[in-house]
Amino acid sequence: MSTNTYDAIVIGSGISGGWAAKELTEKGLKTIMLERGRDIKHVKDYVNANKAPWEFPHRGGRTVQMEKDYPVLKRDYPLNETNLDYWVNEKESPYVEIKRFDWFRGYHVGGRSLMWGRQSYRWHDVNFEENAKQGIGVDWPIRYKDLEPWYSHAEKFAGISGNRDGVPILPDGDFMPPMEMNCVEKDVAARFNAYYKDKDRHFIIGRTANITKPLPGRTNCQYRNKCWLGCPFGAYFSTQSSTLPAAMATGNLTVRPWSIVTKILYDKDTKKAKGVEVLDAQNNQTYEYYAKIVFVNASTLNSAWVLMNSATDIWPDGLGSSSGELGHNLMDHHLGVGAGGRVEGYDDKYYFGRRANGIYIPRYRNLNGEKRDYIRGFGYQGGAGRDEWGRSIPELSIGGAFKDALAEPGEWNIGMGGFGETLPYHENRCYLDKNVKDHWGLPVLAIDATCKDNEMKMRKDMAEDAKEMLEACGVKDVHVFNSEPVLGRGIHEMGTARMGRDPKTSVLNEWNQVWDAKNVFVTDGACMTSAACQNPSLTYMALTARAANHAVEELKKGNI
Amino acid sequence: MDRRTALKNLALVIGSTALLPRCTSHSSVAHFNSFDVTYDQQSLVLDMAETIIPKTATPGATDLGLDKFIWLMLDDCTKTDDQKAFFKGMGEFSDLVKKTYNKDFADCTKQEKMALLSTFEKKPGDKKDAKPANNYSKELNGFFGTVKGLTVFGYTESQYFMTKEIVYELVPGRYNAMYPVKNNMKA
Ligand SMILES: Cc1cc2nc3c(=O)[nH]c(=O)nc-3n(C[C@H](O)[C@H](O)[C@H](O)COP(=O)(O)OP(=O)(O)OC[C@H]3O[C@@H](n4cnc5c(N)ncnc54)[C@H](O)[C@@H]3O)c2cc1C
Ligand code: SF4
Repeated sequence: MSTNTYDAIVIGSGISGGWAAKELTEKGLKTIMLERGRDIKHVKDYVNANKAPWEFPHRGGRTVQMEKDYPVLKRDYPLNETNLDYWVNEKESPYVEIKRFDWFRGYHVGGRSLMWGRQSYRWHDVNFEENAKQGIGVDWPIRYKDLEPWYSHAEKFAGISGNRDGVPILPDGDFMPPMEMNCVEKDVAARFNAYYKDKDRHFIIGRTANITKPLPGRTNCQYRNKCWLGCPFGAYFSTQSSTLPAAMATGNLTVRPWSIVTKILYDKDTKKAKGVEVLDAQNNQTYEYYAKIVFVNASTLNSAWVLMNSATDIWPDGLGSSSGELGHNLMDHHLGVGAGGRVEGYDDKYYFGRRANGIYIPRYRNLNGEKRDYIRGFGYQGGAGRDEWGRSIPELSIGGAFKDALAEPGEWNIGMGGFGETLPYHENRCYLDKNVKDHWGLPVLAIDATCKDNEMKMRKDMAEDAKEMLEACGVKDVHVFNSEPVLGRGIHEMGTARMGRDPKTSVLNEWNQVWDAKNVFVTDGACMTSAACQNPSLTYMALTARAANHAVEELKKGNI
Repeated sequence: MDRRTALKNLALVIGSTALLPRCTSHSSVAHFNSFDVTYDQQSLVLDMAETIIPKTATPGATDLGLDKFIWLMLDDCTKTDDQKAFFKGMGEFSDLVKKTYNKDFADCTKQEKMALLSTFEKKPGDKKDAKPANNYSKELNGFFGTVKGLTVFGYTESQYFMTKEIVYELVPGRYNAMYPVKNNMKA
């Protein structure tokens, strides 16, 4: 066996790649994980994790230079001084926006598992069935029961804290103890749940991949809410804290940072992939790695890029392009719409600790026979808190009394923002733009996607419902926000290589295998046939574990 | 830790993170990446900051070196056009002081300083988003707004404020969902 030959190759080391590596190595496969960016070592390389707010020169803010260097990231909250190195270098890795698409990326070991928001929700059968029932896109080739054991598997290992709320549309999982609502959230929840009792609307504590009890090698969450700097306690799920150590412990994993997978090598005789080609990002040399199976986990858009860049004379539009769907049906969650307001009273109450979690209102629209003027639905995330300081009463706006007032807690506020489902539109897509090259001379992605009528109609409900619900709970001065929807901003890219039942209309089969090359598995967001409105990463974890299990079984049977 | 030790430690911290070029004489000009600041301009901003967050029984803007933070933010985090507007507003502010009191801001009494800065503020009882009742130019109001905003931001994010006025813990270790306010803990 040459040193470049393994049983399995995993492309990418983010949430889904980490899971692929863990599952495959635990099942005995010698695996190499190829990651295009630098290595980031657990704890040791979380350079800002233990800094106090006043230790950042600009107190966490943005400099003019940062805004110049990160023209995409600056469009929303992620651009900040505290974890700047975790975001992709936009000059080196550009992309083309046919229409505005906010693509927030992290290229390093761990991918976006280091910076993610950790909200973790299961899907429901409704989500798997709606495409077929409504004649949208193609039918999912799987149902909830296919994924259920893998959700449990993923939750138990990753550590998801949550309450078993018994909400029909949002299946309960194998949770660690839930985090607590603060006093205002508790009261609002009580009023909300009483008011909407017959309407099946629920106000629950968020379900988050922050552990509330220790796991091997990991300490329970210390309520610092600095997760996206990297957690010295390993208290939230990331590749580094969770899947990578497990995979390393098997002795079967090799991690190769600085390895840009440029193509999957397709063998037309066996009709399978024989390996991948790698461009070393540091020395610009090309290397080949060979394996029996390849897991593509470069994240939705980059996995599509790898497949498209793997074009051969047999598949001129890329590996997996025979259906004409590769790169198409790009989805996200549309957001930037919701409401907030003031809560009176509770002046003598505060909370202590920084809870890295909020509240959740699961989808309630277009269920149980309801028919709005749009299909699908949305959920809300939010929370209540007290303005930090500075009631800033006009009488005291400068001087000693003002200074003292700054240390008084401000008013209680509550707010929530919607996450709406976007439909899979064939014309929402990405493709290779060979005229634009990145730092390494590789063609870049062009992205062409927008929200359409269904999403726009849904957003009206997302705004109006939020206002109505807050007012029903006694919240004062409720203000609504509804910004222009921009795809990408949800940071939940999905689609581009969808699963399906028919090779003519989908890229992947029910086991995430590329129809055109059965030993290639795509298990990140690219595989999603529809988007639902729940945060998707837990579903990627479950799909990845399920596909890895199948891959190993098929290998054993000699089928691939 | 008692307050005096705290302040001593604080001085150390400020001393070690001072990013400002030191000035030795009254004529000295501080050079930043995008602009130069005369001694008078430096004093004016510090004086304003001290009026907004004065030394009382507890440290004020001067003790906490908030002026350094203001200049740093203006240099690094402010667009060229906004920097220009800031300096234009600063010139107008000096004129306003002269016109009102016939002397420089530095020579005004504390009461005069307070009275003048108050003209940039809303009236008691005004709505949150109300505009102050003055007829100053956009740049002049903007200048005050920037100095005040950065002073308050620098103050509330200072080690002194976060450890002595409120209690910031890097590692709270727990989440107490209902904590009585009088303990003044902000985690
Ligand atoms: C601020 C923020 C908040 C979020 N909040 C949530 C949330 O609350 N809940 C939720 O479910 N999701 C959330 N997400 C989304 C979540 O991070 C992603 O869904 C998840 O990380 C996707 O996993 P992945 O493995 O597909 O890709 P990633 O985690 O992005 O990892 C992909 C990896 O592949 C590497 N790679 C790319 N191309 C190549 C190549 N050609 N060769 C080799 N390696 C390559 C990249 O460098 C990267 O390391 C959030 C994301 C962000 C940024
Ligand atoms: S809030 Fe919890 S998971 Fe996040 S950084 Fe702090 S201890 Fe770690």
